[in-house]
Amino acid sequence: MDTQWPRYEVFEKERPDWPHRNAGSVHAPDAEMALENARDVFVRRPHCLSLWVAPASEIFSMTAEQLAGFDWRSVPAGPDSEPYLVFQKQTQRAAETFVVHVGEVEARSHAEAMSHAVEKFGSGGVFVWWVCPARAVTRSEESDVSAMFAPSESKPYRQPHFYKVIAQLREIKSKASE
Amino acid sequence: MNSAALAAKLLALADDEYILGHRDAEWTGHAPILEEDIAFANIAQDEIGHAVLWYNALKDLNGDDPDRLVFFRESSGWRNAQFVELPKGDWAFTMVRQYLFDAAELVRLAETVNSAHRAVAEVSEKIRPEEMYHYRHTSNWVKRLGLGTEESHRRMQAALDSLWPRALQLFAPLPNEDELIAAGIFPAPDKLRAAWEGATRSWLTDSGLTIPTITASAADREQHTEHLAALLAEMQEVARLEPPDVKW
Repeated sequence: MDTQWPRYEVFEKERPDWPHRNAGSVHAPDAEMALENARDVFVRRPHCLSLWVAPASEIFSMTAEQLAGFDWRSVPAGPDSEPYLVFQKQTQRAAETFVVHVGEVEARSHAEAMSHAVEKFGSGGVFVWWVCPARAVTRSEESDVSAMFAPSESKPYRQPHFYKVIAQLREIKSKASE
Repeated sequence: MNSAALAAKLLALADDEYILGHRDAEWTGHAPILEEDIAFANIAQDEIGHAVLWYNALKDLNGDDPDRLVFFRESSGWRNAQFVELPKGDWAFTMVRQYLFDAAELVRLAETVNSAHRAVAEVSEKIRPEEMYHYRHTSNWVKRLGLGTEESHRRMQAALDSLWPRALQLFAPLPNEDELIAAGIFPAPDKLRAAWEGATRSWLTDSGLTIPTITASAADREQHTEHLAALLAEMQEVARLEPPDVKW
């Protein structure tokens, strides 16, 4: 029996003028615990304003190559349209491989949402697209900030530069070479 | 103000936080899943951080050095409750203990943020948001394990049966604590206990657990189980290997 909990993708907003960006994923028994695990795993560093979690199973992902011959009408759709969140991976640079939130579309299926997303937000240079129904996303509240995110700002000892490791290593090396 | 009574109270608070933080830290690398390992290491680190704040308040009051108190004090000198020194047990035991402790912290901090003693109010203000998060996290675990499988429920009930009577030690008044209450520095323990029971009884019951009946009275903070000496022997070992004035 597979006892692994479901995987949730985590989106973090670090600054007011930045979008929510995919930080990684966590396992959790349910969305509420996923939000807490996301906080504990990814908000050890300051400046988190908001967290979203979404079950990985609800996220429909396509690369630019896969989209080339894609016909969303071939995929069965539900009767009613609903809002979907749209995310893009816009660069392959190693330090910035985030999948970032770019907006919303209305659609009756993941496939239709993907098609509308490309129409609405496609301007070339996108490597990967994600769409996810808005109802599947669990979001932190404004009132969560003080207890969930603010305390980490006063914990500089969690920052790697707090320990001055590089300077100390240089000192050790210079002593060793004497 | 009775500064000896205040010092005794600050020491009890600091010792509770420190010993529980140490017990919690024993899970680091061993928690049930990776995410919770990180989450619970955070909580352990927070509790030890809270202890440091209370020890520093004590130092400002009477000059006691926090490092000496933590690393060179015999078990007979510690004033933590037995509740926090018991071995970490299984995950259910750890979650029930942390939950009951967090709830006790929250009801006290809600009062002490308005303490007439400035340092007590300031430390409380700093600690409170972190405890709110601890409580959220541990109360969610309690509910999921209490209402989970037959095994998780059985383990949770056993943990609660063992821990509930001992938790009352957190509300046992210290000698001369009435002077701190009269001065508006700390709230009355029986008032806190009522608020704590109000919060925990309904949550535990909603989590499918039965509150045990209490027959014995709470132990004195000068009495410890054999587990504290063993904990201290390990925790203090490295510090005691070095001369007291060594620079790290």
